[in-house]
Amino acid sequence: MNARIALCIAALGLAGLASPAAAQTPGQLRLPEFAGLAEKAAESVSVQLDPQVLGLACRFLDSSDPEQASVQQMCQSLRGIYVRKFTFDKDYAYPKSDIDGVRRQLAAPGWSQLVGATSKKENTDVNVYLLIDKGQAKSLAIIASEPREFVIVNIVGNIDLEKLHQLEGQFGVPELQIESDKKASPKAAPAPAPAPAPTPKKK
Amino acid sequence: MSEVEDRLRRALRPIDPPPGFAERVMRALPDQRPTATVTPIDIVRTSPRASFWRRVSAPAALAASLVAAVLLGQHVAIQQEERAGLAARQELMQALRLTSQKLDDAYQAVQGTPAPAQEENPS
Repeated sequence: MNARIALCIAALGLAGLASPAAAQTPGQLRLPEFAGLAEKAAESVSVQLDPQVLGLACRFLDSSDPEQASVQQMCQSLRGIYVRKFTFDKDYAYPKSDIDGVRRQLAAPGWSQLVGATSKKENTDVNVYLLIDKGQAKSLAIIASEPREFVIVNIVGNIDLEKLHQLEGQFGVPELQIESDKKASPKAAPAPAPAPAPTPKKK
Repeated sequence: MSEVEDRLRRALRPIDPPPGFAERVMRALPDQRPTATVTPIDIVRTSPRASFWRRVSAPAALAASLVAAVLLGQHVAIQQEERAGLAARQELMQALRLTSQKLDDAYQAVQGTPAPAQEENPS
């Protein structure tokens, strides 16, 4: 009898462990918490907006504010926003292996690299990825690293590139030369861009 | 049976009290007996209205307390939700600003042109 109870408890425990993975939305990256880095970083930002919290945030957007009103339009179709940003006082205070671990997830089928820009002179790296499913962008990932900073952004959901495009001028989102969802298929996704001429960055 | 009865009779036979017993008992009694007060029933009986309020006051107070607790709980929950919502909104806007900034960086890097903010000193 005791063995049966123990078995049931073990099964429930396994189910509990398995449920978060099973509940993970397609396109959601497994971002490490970088707990050790937060202590070393001069500034750290961690945003974890899962569907429930994101829905709550969307409800509290102020439609009278143009910036928030534009976000409100695309907010309902999003399933989660996850951001990690760490800024350090000295160069390369973070292990690149952590970022490479996230980057490896983007090698999974469906993900396409939209932009890849590397400046060897400045040691900066910006990569933008899209998860395309049936011609629809399901997830956006940005990995940007600099000697003293790295940023990982993961926006999950039916990303309407047209609406993202409409944010231009609101947040300074540039025109990404994305004409429509149809063009943003894996085949049509542009190859990683060659390393551009390094541009001086204002710090 | 008759022997038992005889023994009982002998054991319970009436005996005279010792001399002076009655005086000692009387001395032990209090000097004045408390007088019983008689209150007319009409005064004791409460009116039907007062009785009703006495009966319902406790449940009413309990019910009022429950309603107040529920309302207070709802108010606190609404306030908590509002605080959480505003915090989530702030995080959302922060995340989108950061996304925008990084997309801008990517765009500028691909275009190979400096960002507008970097053109403050064209010289």
